[in-house]
Amino acid sequence: MSRTNKSVLSVALVACFLGLAIGSRADDVVVRLSGGDGYMKLADGRILYIFSFADFSNLPPEEVMSAGLLAASAPAPTIIADEGDRVFLHLTNVGMVMRPDLFDPHSVHWHGFPNAAPIFDGLPDTSISINMGGTLSYFYNVVEPGTYMYHCHVEATEHMQMGMLGNLYVRPAQNKSPDGTLLGGFVHHTGFKYAYNDGDGSTFYDVEFPIQIGSFDAAFHDASESTQPLPFALMRDDYPLLNGRGYPDTAVPGALPALAENGGKVSQGVSSLIEATQGEKILLRISNLNVTRFYTLASLGIPMKVVGQDARLLRAPSGLNLYRTTNSVTLGGGESKDAILDTSGVQPGRYFLYTTNLNYLSNGTEDFGGMMTEIIIHAQ
Amino acid sequence: MNFETDGKIMKHSARFVFRIAALLATGLYAGRATRADINGLEGSDFRLTASAGTIVMPDGLSVHVWGFGPTDGNMQYPGPTLITTQGQLTQITLLNELPEPTSMVFPGMVNVVADGGVGTQQGLLALEALPGGTVSYSFTPRQPGTYLYYSGTRPDVQVEMGLLGALIVRPMDFDPLAPRAYQDNETAYDQEYLFLLSEMDPRIHEVVLRLGSAGLDGLDYLTDHQPQYWFINGRVGPDTFLPNNVPWLKHQPYGAMARTHPGERMLMRVVGGGRDVHPFHHHGNHARVIAKNGRLGTSASYEVFTIQTAPGETIDAIWTWTGQRLGWDAYGHAPGDPLEPGEYAPDHGKPIPVNLTELQDLAFGGFYSGDPFLGSLKSLPPGEGGLNQNGGFHFMWHSHTEKELVNNDIAPGGMMTMCIVEPHGVPID
Repeated sequence: MSRTNKSVLSVALVACFLGLAIGSRADDVVVRLSGGDGYMKLADGRILYIFSFADFSNLPPEEVMSAGLLAASAPAPTIIADEGDRVFLHLTNVGMVMRPDLFDPHSVHWHGFPNAAPIFDGLPDTSISINMGGTLSYFYNVVEPGTYMYHCHVEATEHMQMGMLGNLYVRPAQNKSPDGTLLGGFVHHTGFKYAYNDGDGSTFYDVEFPIQIGSFDAAFHDASESTQPLPFALMRDDYPLLNGRGYPDTAVPGALPALAENGGKVSQGVSSLIEATQGEKILLRISNLNVTRFYTLASLGIPMKVVGQDARLLRAPSGLNLYRTTNSVTLGGGESKDAILDTSGVQPGRYFLYTTNLNYLSNGTEDFGGMMTEIIIHAQ
Repeated sequence: MNFETDGKIMKHSARFVFRIAALLATGLYAGRATRADINGLEGSDFRLTASAGTIVMPDGLSVHVWGFGPTDGNMQYPGPTLITTQGQLTQITLLNELPEPTSMVFPGMVNVVADGGVGTQQGLLALEALPGGTVSYSFTPRQPGTYLYYSGTRPDVQVEMGLLGALIVRPMDFDPLAPRAYQDNETAYDQEYLFLLSEMDPRIHEVVLRLGSAGLDGLDYLTDHQPQYWFINGRVGPDTFLPNNVPWLKHQPYGAMARTHPGERMLMRVVGGGRDVHPFHHHGNHARVIAKNGRLGTSASYEVFTIQTAPGETIDAIWTWTGQRLGWDAYGHAPGDPLEPGEYAPDHGKPIPVNLTELQDLAFGGFYSGDPFLGSLKSLPPGEGGLNQNGGFHFMWHSHTEKELVNNDIAPGGMMTMCIVEPHGVPID
């Protein structure tokens, strides 16, 4: 759907003329991110200081340093790749405008990348990370489809609480099967999409939406902004979020308005409004990157068929399907689930996806909001 | 505004400790050459003593702990990993040197028989040993697998205080030369590690030290539990990196650093020993969950990159790293070089397709070998790296509830350890 595409970083298929990649091919995917600070607006109007990434895939590399200042976005730009892609990700550390005392490096951890090598795993303790003013290149040979996530791993508790978190998913090669390919008893047609290489069309969907669970502790962010000691053990998240927003902002289509605090840049580009036409199948790519607790998300009125978990089709080696139909899914930090909502026979109207940890249906002191969004089913 | 009070200063000192700890770890590991087995007490007749002691945390705080220990040894946290065999009558005799009654329960075991005379009393969940008393429990494990044991006497207080441990039941046809977790070839493994996850709220320990359990009456510390320390095998990072039985961690004998070689199957026994759910994220590759709570599930096994570890639950998973399909040669071979055992041939000799950034723009991890390739060591700027003696690939295994990666507000620490994929030929014990 166009909504997803709008909110997504355009993974431009740029030929690699930039000199950072060697042995590149014309179809390589180049992602150019800045890592730095910025601001977001919570659903109760509170302005929050954040660290995060921003997308500059369409800018020449020498412009990222200046364009990236105060450009942090919540969540970080969504990264989408196709199985078989070679992704070149260039991370520029632009520094923290509001925290000139900080000299923190940054990194990108592609969370869940199979058979990873430390050099591109983004874990600062076991490899390298990038200092202010520098650019570090990551290479990913993308061979496994599924719903992953990414975040900065430098001083992870702090940088993740501060917001360096984003959606990342890989579409399967099965999408590119020739028209008329038989997948078991299922006939593939050009344009059909699947969550995984299921071999039987059972993960077919019409529309997909990344939904990243998160939550912030505003006191921690305020302490960071004002250079105070950071409350790690006492961290208590009071702003539950989906894709960096609390309800009702989650259901606002497209980006939230730009903020003056960060110089008029759009910082909350990912809507969580889920829309489909009756009869369509909706794929929710749910991930959790909050750093304090488990959350349960429930779908009211439309059952969810969980077909994938942690970027793997839920199927045993014997071929036994482990799909399960449920009204709720529970995820801790660093977990993902792929759920398909079949809207056939579902009356058109407005439905909700929300946390059943009911005290998290709030935005700070403001009840009622928080971790909730809308599912709109249009009539055919 | 005093910028020096920002958490960074503390972080840097913690990082220093982290490096020293790991250096010692790798130094002590070197030069021994058998397969890694879980450290614990093996047999079927175990004699344990429950007693009190003090553990010293990396941030400098001392915590009063109650733990089980071998009767001729130290109190320890967690209690000894008890390793017995399916079908074998197993007896545990417990001497109570605590100031309060205590006991043991064995979830997953059926028909546990408790025995004791003078010095025991029947508690709500189990027969208890009074202070100075002795009680014994016996059972015959029907199924192999990973289990937990802990106090059945006011477990809300006593498990928090440290009275817990892991119980491992080997299958009745266990062959140490070709080990399997269950009677199923899909549970065969080369390396075996325990990851017992728990947490502590030091306020409770302080009260119990001064006033005993009764001191908690009228306080909400048990219901409003606020942990400050998060443990793997009874240690917090960076102590998790240290080997078993280092003398200065007298009451915390178990390390949590996992080591393996490319292509080997590592059995992860992950145990939820505390009161919170922990998402245990294992960098490096997916793991296949083969059993839960000591019940084999290979016919419905699935892969995860984060193991959801609920209180009282155990998960057995198989983890393997091969580096296949990276799109470059993880060993840094030239095209004509011979293949390593199990190497993914299509990537052989392929270079990394990006130019790595110049050194002056980089920050280096202590475990970085100076080179992206497995088994290769290169020099780094003075003071950088140095903890990676074999050029192994290090992956952090940790709670992804990242607030648990601190020790009483000092990061990094907490529920984290490393898994090292060592080059072929590096001995692992």
